[in-house]
Amino acid sequence: MHQAYAQGDAYAKSRPSLSALSKATRRRYVLFILLVAPAFLLRLTTAAYPILQTIFLSFTNLNLLKNTDDFVGLQNYPAVASDYGVQAALSFTILLVVGSTVLDLVVGMLVALLLNATFRGTGFARTINLIPWAIPTIVAGYAFRWLLDDQFGLIPYWVNLISGGRLVIFISPVLAKVTVILVHVWKDAPFMAFVFLAGLQGVPLDLYEAAKVDGANAWHRFWRITLPLIMPLAITMGLFRLVWSLGSFDLVYGLTQGGPGVATSVLALQVFREGIMFFKFGFASAISVLLLLVVAIVGIIGLWLFRRAEVAY
Amino acid sequence: MSKPWSHIWNKSAVYASFLVFTVVVLLPIYWMVRSSVAPAADLIKVPLVYVPTPTLRNFETLVEQVPFFRYVFNSLTFALATTLATLFVSYLAAYAFARIQFPGSGIIMWALVLSMALPEVGTIVPLYRILSSLHLLDTIAGLTLVLSSTLAPFTVWVLVSFIKQVPYEIEEAAIIDGASLPQILGRILVPVTMPGLVTMGLINFINAWNNLLYPLSFTTSPSSKTLSVSITEVFAGYSPWGRPWELIMAVGVTMTVPVVILVLLSQKAIVRGLTGGALK
Repeated sequence: MHQAYAQGDAYAKSRPSLSALSKATRRRYVLFILLVAPAFLLRLTTAAYPILQTIFLSFTNLNLLKNTDDFVGLQNYPAVASDYGVQAALSFTILLVVGSTVLDLVVGMLVALLLNATFRGTGFARTINLIPWAIPTIVAGYAFRWLLDDQFGLIPYWVNLISGGRLVIFISPVLAKVTVILVHVWKDAPFMAFVFLAGLQGVPLDLYEAAKVDGANAWHRFWRITLPLIMPLAITMGLFRLVWSLGSFDLVYGLTQGGPGVATSVLALQVFREGIMFFKFGFASAISVLLLLVVAIVGIIGLWLFRRAEVAY
Repeated sequence: MSKPWSHIWNKSAVYASFLVFTVVVLLPIYWMVRSSVAPAADLIKVPLVYVPTPTLRNFETLVEQVPFFRYVFNSLTFALATTLATLFVSYLAAYAFARIQFPGSGIIMWALVLSMALPEVGTIVPLYRILSSLHLLDTIAGLTLVLSSTLAPFTVWVLVSFIKQVPYEIEEAAIIDGASLPQILGRILVPVTMPGLVTMGLINFINAWNNLLYPLSFTTSPSSKTLSVSITEVFAGYSPWGRPWELIMAVGVTMTVPVVILVLLSQKAIVRGLTGGALK
C-alpha cells in the first residue's frame, strides 16, 4: 500500500492537474481505487461483460450442435415469443414469484408472531425455523417430490387413508403449480419470519402499553402499531425476494423438472435447458434478455410500491 | 421481548399453531432422514414403514457407485474458497465505500450493489464461453471465481453498514500513531466488525454449499462436480424398482447435515449480525 502511494506521488509530479489536488486527497483516491478494484473487476468481467454479451448473442443463431454462428438480427425474438415452452414459463414465473412472495410475507409474519409469543418451546421453534432456509433448495425439491410421491409418499398415503382417493400431484398442471408455490413458501417464509422477529423485538414496549391504556384491543394494536413499524422491513424483504427468485430454478428443477409438460417451467429453467443442455446459445440468450426485462419491470414496479409505502407509513 | 401477544392469544391457540408449525417444518426432514437410513426394500412397502431399522447401507452403496468422497471434498473446497474470496474482496471494497467519500463514490457503490439484481442464469452462456477460453471449465477455481462475484454485492452492502458503525476516531488515532492500512484493518476494524464477518461468512458458505446453477453448468467430471450435481445425477438414475429414492435421500442428508449443524450452532451470531447490520 505504501509503495502504491509513493508511485502515485511520483506520477503526480508530471501531471499538474493532479498535483493541484492536495496530496492527502490524491492518496485517498488512489487508495479508494485500489480497495474497490478487486470487487469491481470481478463484477465487470463476470457480470457486466457477460450481460452485454448475452444481449449480443441474442442477435445470433449461435448453436454448438448445429455449428451455426451468424448474425440474424431480431429473428430470435419472434421465435422466443411464439415458443410454447417460453410462453408457459413466462406466465408461471410471474404467478410463482408474485404468489409465493405474497404468501411468504403473510406466512412469515404469522410465524414471526408465533416465535415472538412466550410459551414453552419458543427456543425450539426459533431453532427449527432456520432449517428450511439452510437446507439446499435442490434437496428440498427432491425431499418434497418423494414426500408427495403418488405411490409411496407420506402425504398421498395419508390422503388415501382418510379419503380413500388417490392423490397424484405431478401429472396435474394445477396441482403441480400449487405444490411448487407452497414448497417455495415452506423454503423461504421461515427466513422472512426470522427477519420479522428481529423487527418485532425492536418495537418499543411502551407503545403497546400506551395503546392498552387508550383501550386498543390486540387486533387494533397489530394493525396500528406492529404492522406500520414492520412495513418498511417487509417491503425491503419482499423486493429482495421478488428479484432473486425471478432468476432461480433450483426448486423446480428438483420438484417437477418443469412438468407435467412445461406447466411448472420457469424462464430461468428454459434458459438453462436451451443454453446449457441443448447448446442453443443464441436462442437461450434471447430468453435471458426477456428474463432481464421481466426483472427490470418487476424491480421498477417494486421500487415504485416501495416509495409509495414509504410515504404512507 | 414483547409480551402483549402472549397475553391475548389464547394459550391453546399458541400451542396448536406451534404444533402445526413444527410438523410442517420437520415432516419433509423426517421423511428424508427416514428414507436415507431405510433398507431400499422398505421404501416400497405398503403400509408404509414409518420407523425402519436404521442402516448405513445406502451410504455404502453411494461410496461404491459414485466418487462420493471426492464430491464431498469438492463441495467443501468450493464453499470454503468462495466464502474466503468473497469476504476478502468485499471487505476491502466495503472499507473504501464506508470511509472514503467523494462526489461520485456513492454512485460506484450503488452500481456494485444493484448488480445483485442481475439474474445469474442470464449470464450463464457467456460465462461458459469465458471460463472455456480461460481453461477454467470443470475446475473448482472457475466455480469459485463466478460465485464469489455473484455473492460480493450483497456482502459489500452488509459490510458497509457494519464498518460505518465503527467510530472513525479509533482509526484516526491509529493513523496518527503511524499504523499502516493492513494494520488498521487487521488489528482494529476486522476484530470490531467480526459479527458482520461471521454472519456474511456463514451466509456465503451456505450459499456456495447449496449452489446448483454454476456446478451444474460448468462441471463435466468428478474433478470438480459437487454434491449438488451428484444428487441430480443420482436422481436421473433408475433402478428396477423406479428411482433410487434411498440413494437420493442419502445424498440429500449428506448435503443437509453440515449446513443445519452450522446454522443451529451459529443461530445467535446470525441474529446479532443481521440485526446489528444492514437490516437494523
